[in-house]
Amino acid sequence: MLNSLWPSRRAVPVIGDASLAALLAGAELPAGSAPELRPLVEALAGLRDQPVSDELEGEAGALAAFRNQLGVPNTARQRSAQTPPSRFRPRPVRAAAVAVAMVLGLGGIATAAYAGALPSSLQRLAHDIVGAPAPGTGPAVRPSWASPAARGHRAYGLCTAWAHGTHKQQAVAFRELAAAADGRGNVSAYCATVAHPGTSPSHRPAPAPDRTGRPGGLPTPHGSGRPGGLPTPHGSGKPTGLPAPNSTSAPTAHPTGGPYRHL
Amino acid sequence: MLAAAQGGSEVAFSRLWRDGNPALLRYLRVIAPEAAEDVAAETWLQVVRRLAGFHGDEQGWRAWLFTTARRRAVDEARRRSRRPEKPLEETLPGQWPVSPDAADLALQNIGARSAMALVAQLPAHQAEVILLRVVAGLDTQTVARLVGRSPGAVRVAAHRGLRRMAAILTEAGVTL
Repeated sequence: MLNSLWPSRRAVPVIGDASLAALLAGAELPAGSAPELRPLVEALAGLRDQPVSDELEGEAGALAAFRNQLGVPNTARQRSAQTPPSRFRPRPVRAAAVAVAMVLGLGGIATAAYAGALPSSLQRLAHDIVGAPAPGTGPAVRPSWASPAARGHRAYGLCTAWAHGTHKQQAVAFRELAAAADGRGNVSAYCATVAHPGTSPSHRPAPAPDRTGRPGGLPTPHGSGRPGGLPTPHGSGKPTGLPAPNSTSAPTAHPTGGPYRHL
Repeated sequence: MLAAAQGGSEVAFSRLWRDGNPALLRYLRVIAPEAAEDVAAETWLQVVRRLAGFHGDEQGWRAWLFTTARRRAVDEARRRSRRPEKPLEETLPGQWPVSPDAADLALQNIGARSAMALVAQLPAHQAEVILLRVVAGLDTQTVARLVGRSPGAVRVAAHRGLRRMAAILTEAGVTL
């Protein structure tokens, strides 16, 4: 508890390594430690303190992504009965999306194609290849998200680029989507509501999983072909010699539940 | 909880998120202050994609989460350095205080925000190591692997950082 705030300088306490090691490990200070250590103890406790308001924003987005990838939505059974063929619809687009990204090979271009922002000849090509919006169907700049057509095509394209593109494409798409979704934390949730342009969102709101549990009409993140368990994000550059998680799974030498004070 | 989330339990994943995201943001707001929310969201997206294949215990999970976040932050920094011009919204001061003043620190308890403001005063590598130890709850060995330094260097950086924090607090006249 703070009881004074002195403007004068004070002697900086000398702190031993043992005390510091204990503080880092979250242990109580050894008995007899200098009272001057209290502020530091409190500061470290502050670091472990309960979440503040904005640290829990964005859960909906993460949950939507989780649902997309692993979850079993409540509506799965009903939907599978209603829309059995739906899962076949987006698959070619998904494959082609990756293909065009590879063909074009230039970060922003594939994203721009999905967003309907290319010159019309190029846009036509992209339209023919991957089903990006045809020229003239989407605004080239500052789309109106209020327009259902623009929303459908453009949003689907951006969500696809975000889910499937290179880092750069993802970043470009993410910014657009964050603006449209009214917040960066809402992008996943937003994309989860974006249906394939060929389908009306009112008829088939996403996520609409089929029998296999795969969401229909949605640009789901791929990546299932990658070896699981490895934390290495592709393209991350410098290897840091970081542990594959499965290599660190020493039998839980980890008695405490976690470092957070609120747990 | 981890296994349940891997099995598709949304409740379990929510617990993991609520447990991890505040810590992730505290870390990212110091190492990637201009893009912390973006990087955190991207981190979760990537984690979700690979969650089913993850093997490990709680410490391993946390190491993976922060490793992913760090790599994302490095990517983001690289991307920004190639494109120095920034949208206006990103150049506005964030809600995170860059430096603590006496008023920040003169609280009944040093809360998360003041504590973060204090850590943000440290040299970057000291701040990072302290956050990984204290906020992420990783041990020295794990932090050393994560930041690509020796355990000894990690220990030294953490201790120097803590001593500097104590000095800042003393300078500010905070006594508790």
